Amino acid sequence: MSQAVEGDVASGEGVTDALDREAAEGRSGGEPEWMRERRMHAFDVYERTPMPTRRLEEWRYTDLDEKLDLESLVLGRRSDVADDPEAWPEGVLTAMEEDWDAAAHVVLIDGTVVHVDLDEALAAKGVVVSSLGDAMNDEDAWEDIKQYLATQAVTPERSKFAALNSALFLDGVYVHAPRGVHIDLPIRVTRWVSTAGAAHFDRALILAGETAKVTYIDEVLSEDLDDHTFVSNAVEVIAKDGANVQFVQMQRLGRNVFAHSQQRTLAHREASANTLNIALGATTSRLDLNAQMLGPGSSSEMLGLYFADGDQHFDHNTSQDHVSPNAFSDLLFKGALDDESRAVFRGIIRVHPKAQQSDAYQTNRNLLLSEESSADTLPNLEIAADDVKCSHGATVGQLDENSLFYIMSRGIPQERAERLVVMGFLGEVLLKVSLGGVVEKITREIERKLAHV
Amino acid sequence: MPVNETVQDLNLDEYKYGFVDKEEHVFRTRPGLSEEVVRQISKHKDEPEWMLDFRLKALEIYESKPMPEWGGDLSKLQETLEEIYFYVRPQDQMERSWDDVPANIKDTFEKLGIPEAEQKALAGVGAQYESEMVYHSLKQEWEDQGVIFDSIEDGLKNHPELFKKYFGTVIPTADNKFSAMNSAVWSGGSFVYIPPGVELKTPLQAYFRVNQERMGQFERTLIIAGEGSRAHYVEGCTAPVYSTESFHSGVIEIVVEKNAHFRYTTIQNWSNNMYNLVTQRSIVHEGATMEWLDGNLGSKLTMKYPSCYLVGEGAHGNILSIAYAGDGQHQDTGGKIIHAAPNTTSSIVSKSISKGTGRSSYRGLLQVHDGARNAKSNVECDALLIDETAKTDTYPYIEIDEKSAHIGHEATVSKVGDEQLFYLMSRGMSEEEAMALIVRGFIEPIAKELPLEYAVELNRLIELEMEGSVG
Repeated sequence: MSQAVEGDVASGEGVTDALDREAAEGRSGGEPEWMRERRMHAFDVYERTPMPTRRLEEWRYTDLDEKLDLESLVLGRRSDVADDPEAWPEGVLTAMEEDWDAAAHVVLIDGTVVHVDLDEALAAKGVVVSSLGDAMNDEDAWEDIKQYLATQAVTPERSKFAALNSALFLDGVYVHAPRGVHIDLPIRVTRWVSTAGAAHFDRALILAGETAKVTYIDEVLSEDLDDHTFVSNAVEVIAKDGANVQFVQMQRLGRNVFAHSQQRTLAHREASANTLNIALGATTSRLDLNAQMLGPGSSSEMLGLYFADGDQHFDHNTSQDHVSPNAFSDLLFKGALDDESRAVFRGIIRVHPKAQQSDAYQTNRNLLLSEESSADTLPNLEIAADDVKCSHGATVGQLDENSLFYIMSRGIPQERAERLVVMGFLGEVLLKVSLGGVVEKITREIERKLAHV
Repeated sequence: MPVNETVQDLNLDEYKYGFVDKEEHVFRTRPGLSEEVVRQISKHKDEPEWMLDFRLKALEIYESKPMPEWGGDLSKLQETLEEIYFYVRPQDQMERSWDDVPANIKDTFEKLGIPEAEQKALAGVGAQYESEMVYHSLKQEWEDQGVIFDSIEDGLKNHPELFKKYFGTVIPTADNKFSAMNSAVWSGGSFVYIPPGVELKTPLQAYFRVNQERMGQFERTLIIAGEGSRAHYVEGCTAPVYSTESFHSGVIEIVVEKNAHFRYTTIQNWSNNMYNLVTQRSIVHEGATMEWLDGNLGSKLTMKYPSCYLVGEGAHGNILSIAYAGDGQHQDTGGKIIHAAPNTTSSIVSKSISKGTGRSSYRGLLQVHDGARNAKSNVECDALLIDETAKTDTYPYIEIDEKSAHIGHEATVSKVGDEQLFYLMSRGMSEEEAMALIVRGFIEPIAKELPLEYAVELNRLIELEMEGSVG
């Protein structure tokens, strides 16, 4: 459904004292003119697009009036933390050290890149890992950024919040793997949020040249914050012919945060763009994930895993677009819900006309651990080609009593048995991930959450 | 030989029932919908004051509600609504015996392929010709059992207390724009009451027929299945082809009392210029079972989601839905199940076939309310695509507020396999026969639930639609 308003009528909804045209102007200081124009255009789109309401299918189960208070937010400001681990909040190093091995490390604090290191051998091969702000002024990188940043993947026209992020992002990460280069170890990005009561905007642009290979692990975290805080993130993945990109996002933000990530992967001929999204933290967590199978033979594996408790509200909005023939996509989102938490899954497979021999799958499974938790799931299909294999499935249920009984019959106490069954349920997703460090870290986090069950 | 290339040039036969009878009317309103039209309808039907008030209130609600923006394309509907007649009454009085049924109406039945003898044998046939029941019969033994099977108008006249107690309680006027429209201008339909403990062995049947160009039909049916009763109601429709778009908007309300078992079967085969926007809903009490068997073959656009509100412990809801969308057709159908009590169970099975430029959409809602412990539900949707220009969508909404619920949804989309076709053709079948056989196999799980004459008719219709689809 189109959100655009007819003509030039400005809706002005969501424009606040902090999030206004002046803020977008301010962000463009020190940036090239084309970037300033891009931000201004994005702000125009933001201003004239009405605020999404529950009347829109995509926001049917998340009431922004209730969950997000833009008026209360100040604009997140550039962090002046030094490029020195001693100066970073303790949580940053702890998270990094849990899983250290990497081709590159990037640290962002409140949306500002404060540290980048990159394996020298890779740098010599032309690999770029840098802050977006630096890259758009770099003569080797700016042309690519000009071509791809907010132009093809997460464009302002995608949605009101994509427009807002495009207008106001403070900084972000730029990765470029040139043609044929394989980056074997992951690039690890740690994003820390420390300022409460603010709206933080950052983004990532991941560009994989022909047959290049990139693994990108993004972890965003904070303490529990005292005030309502908005963390907006946009991720653009461009996988050129034959490229292979694996993107992982682990959301471990504290309470009082509204976390919003908008991700879009573009897979060209024979390319694969795979994603894994893990939601554990924040009070409200919203993911908009769209995979575009643009070239013949392209593919996308889309995994998701979530565990909500307390009054957490997780909303996953996914789509799989089969534009070209012979493409493959497979989505599996699984989650467990405890206390009064609620999970929403809305997924859609769109097979466009002429995308014959499409293979597309979509599964969402929910485990309700408490009386008060709830799950809404809408696995949709829109198929406009006939020679396709498509299926989707969704389930909502409670712990499998047979498994529980079996484990308990082996002398394991009920509480522990329940945890094992939950881990088994969620483990199906992790089994599909070949990143040992990530799997261990997630397992530990889930176990920590389960200990409170 | 690849199927894609061979099935592109399908040429659907002329609509089989595309004949038109000469119109004979006693009374009809002016085209379009207005307060004046509503008052005329009510006056003409000699209704009590409360019904006129009900209609006028509904008109207000109708006018205040926006046209839905989801589902099918309704952008041209407003124009259609300004041109249609909201009320036409073909005759002044009810016919009581077969001999009194006018010849042109009998002729209509002949063309529908229902022999007179079979019709007479069919239990309690109430045929709706245009907006009103013109022919109505009820088996003697049912009357003795206290069963009421009347036109909705007679239900209001002869059983005012019972009627008022239930009318509009299952589907509130404000439920949606079209239920409000129907509430304002309803005319024709059935009133059925089955007393507690009564079991009907033969189905109650009603044939519907729209016969006048630009005439909407707003049938209203109210059914009460008393405690422990068992019955099956069958509604089938077929309509002549016209050049301008036509409109049908029915409201079907069913109350299934404790431990009753009720099944409602519809085979809808409106002509392909018809908007068919129907609200069908049942309230299912403790230990009772409601089954919807919903076949949608005709119309230009159908939006219809039969629903079960499971309000009593142990209630069961069952929806079997089959849709066929040929060239230019959009079947936006499915079902709704609300689990509002413990130990309720439900199942939805939907099968759709899209051919040519046809589009079939499954739209479903499955809700489990907090406290509806141990609710179990399973939804299965299968879509078959016969041409590369055909489309199919699945939109299942699943909303679960109860931990102990067991909910599953599955959907698949497939095309008729080359291997299947090749195998059958190697057994000496023509490609056309093979295709028809595969399609029949696909819908078989639902067809087998139909009364025999409907299963035969469904197969005949599928064969007709498949004719000329290959080769």
